[in-house]
Amino acid sequence: MLKDITIGQYFPLNSVIHRLDPRIKLLYTFVFIITIVLTNNFVSLALCIAVALAVTFISKVPLKTVVKGLKPILFVIIITSLLQIIYVKTGVPLISFWKIRITSGGLLEAVFLTFRISFLIVMSTMLTYTTSPTSMTNGLDRTFAPLTKLGIDFNIVTMIMTIALRFIPTLIDEVDKIISAQKSRGANFESGNIFKRAKMLIPLFVPLLFNATRRAYELAYAMTCRCYNGGKGKTTMNTLKFKKGDWAALLLTVAFVAGVIFLNIKFGEYNAQFTFNLAV
Amino acid sequence: MAETILKFENVTFRYEGDEQPLPPAVENLSLEIKKGEFVAILGHNGSGKSTVAKLSNGLVIPESGDVYVLGMNTKNEDDDLKIKQTVGVVFQNPDNQIVATIVEEDVAFGPENLGVEPAEIRRRVDEALNVVGMYKYRLHEPHKLSGGQKQRVAIAGIIAMQPQCIVFDEPTAMLDPEGRRDVMNAMKRLNRELGITVVFITHYMEEACEAERIIVMDDARLVLDGTPREIFSDVDFIRGLGLDVPQTCALAQMLKNDGIEISGNHLSVDELVNSLAKILD
Repeated sequence: MLKDITIGQYFPLNSVIHRLDPRIKLLYTFVFIITIVLTNNFVSLALCIAVALAVTFISKVPLKTVVKGLKPILFVIIITSLLQIIYVKTGVPLISFWKIRITSGGLLEAVFLTFRISFLIVMSTMLTYTTSPTSMTNGLDRTFAPLTKLGIDFNIVTMIMTIALRFIPTLIDEVDKIISAQKSRGANFESGNIFKRAKMLIPLFVPLLFNATRRAYELAYAMTCRCYNGGKGKTTMNTLKFKKGDWAALLLTVAFVAGVIFLNIKFGEYNAQFTFNLAV
Repeated sequence: MAETILKFENVTFRYEGDEQPLPPAVENLSLEIKKGEFVAILGHNGSGKSTVAKLSNGLVIPESGDVYVLGMNTKNEDDDLKIKQTVGVVFQNPDNQIVATIVEEDVAFGPENLGVEPAEIRRRVDEALNVVGMYKYRLHEPHKLSGGQKQRVAIAGIIAMQPQCIVFDEPTAMLDPEGRRDVMNAMKRLNRELGITVVFITHYMEEACEAERIIVMDDARLVLDGTPREIFSDVDFIRGLGLDVPQTCALAQMLKNDGIEISGNHLSVDELVNSLAKILD
């Protein structure tokens, strides 16, 4: 049962996006996030949305899955939209009751923000959908390798990530075993109120924690045996190499940023006048 | 005479206790292992045999006495990497030895840490996986393998560092019979084909009999050191240590006790059958 869960949200498919170098995927996702935050009018926002949709389409990840990824932040979107509607007072007043005055500017701002946040999330989930955890750590490792020269040891971070990924299935197996063991002694994990159930988790987590600690000790011995010394002077077997597609993706990323900057300047910040024209 | 690869000199070691000091896990132990040997260390639980594995490449440092790997003292921190590269240790639980999320990347972990060139790592990884018969699983995720397969991956991870000696700390204890046989075969292959010195800690008699030399430990001390034939000549003594004897030896002993003249000791069924046939003639 617990075994079936997938680690991260990798969606294994064979698409151009999946085959890209993880470094380029990290880069364009990062660039996209910054760019979409800096858009100041609907035209440049439209370009961002088009790009995000294009990436989704090329990756072959079903649209339904991507939309589902937005669910957890639905609450955030609603709250921020409401705040915009209530507090932004530019544009033409539309409705007013009690102390609240809703203006066209507020509504527009809410729409703008909803799109901005949604596609920011879409693009970040696309990164995890198209990049396997292993490939991701590999990419992070390579991307931040130069930091070692500045005395920041990123290798340790990626090592921790790798070990976490490696042990999640092992610990899940262990949870299964402990649950069976406790059930066979009459433990009941399924009934009772929330407090009772929370209490039942103690006999689950105490042995799990104990075993995890013991595992950590043994793993430390095993790693020492294999000459692990914090990643100093480490080489990698699978070196990442930029291929044609990666250079193309890099070029497209640059073109995208240039496009958004151009549109930002050309159309300028949308203002009350713009809004008014739209409303009329 | 072959060169000595591993040498214990009057080694005593104890683990730190919470309050009062614990009794020593290894006491006044001296032993010498030559290059190319296949040695089994036998003993019941708590006899100190696992501590010998940890002492052998400097994972723990003796309280008194010295451990030498090719003449390098494990107390000398400058030689630490060289020592760990010379003597590899494979532990009991394969799950807790595998570091990476893909088999081949795990095998590459050791050589990567040593700063070996990528092309050479690739060559070593492929070779190591072939030796243990896990090459076709190189792109699998470790948690989807069986216990025996995982243990062979762990062994490949050590082989890829090209050690001269590998200490196996009860590598078969958590495995099913099939996994046990596979791991046993892998160990024998390392010894015969690659010339790697194998020190093999176990409490299975049948497995120990496959070694050329058996060291028996009891209560933190070395009590016997000899060939399997010598070791199992005294069935009562071995039993007195809380250890089993091979079934063939046990049967021969029972016959002797009943006054039947049966000579020598027998490690295989065939040997025993031959001896019995002679008596019956």
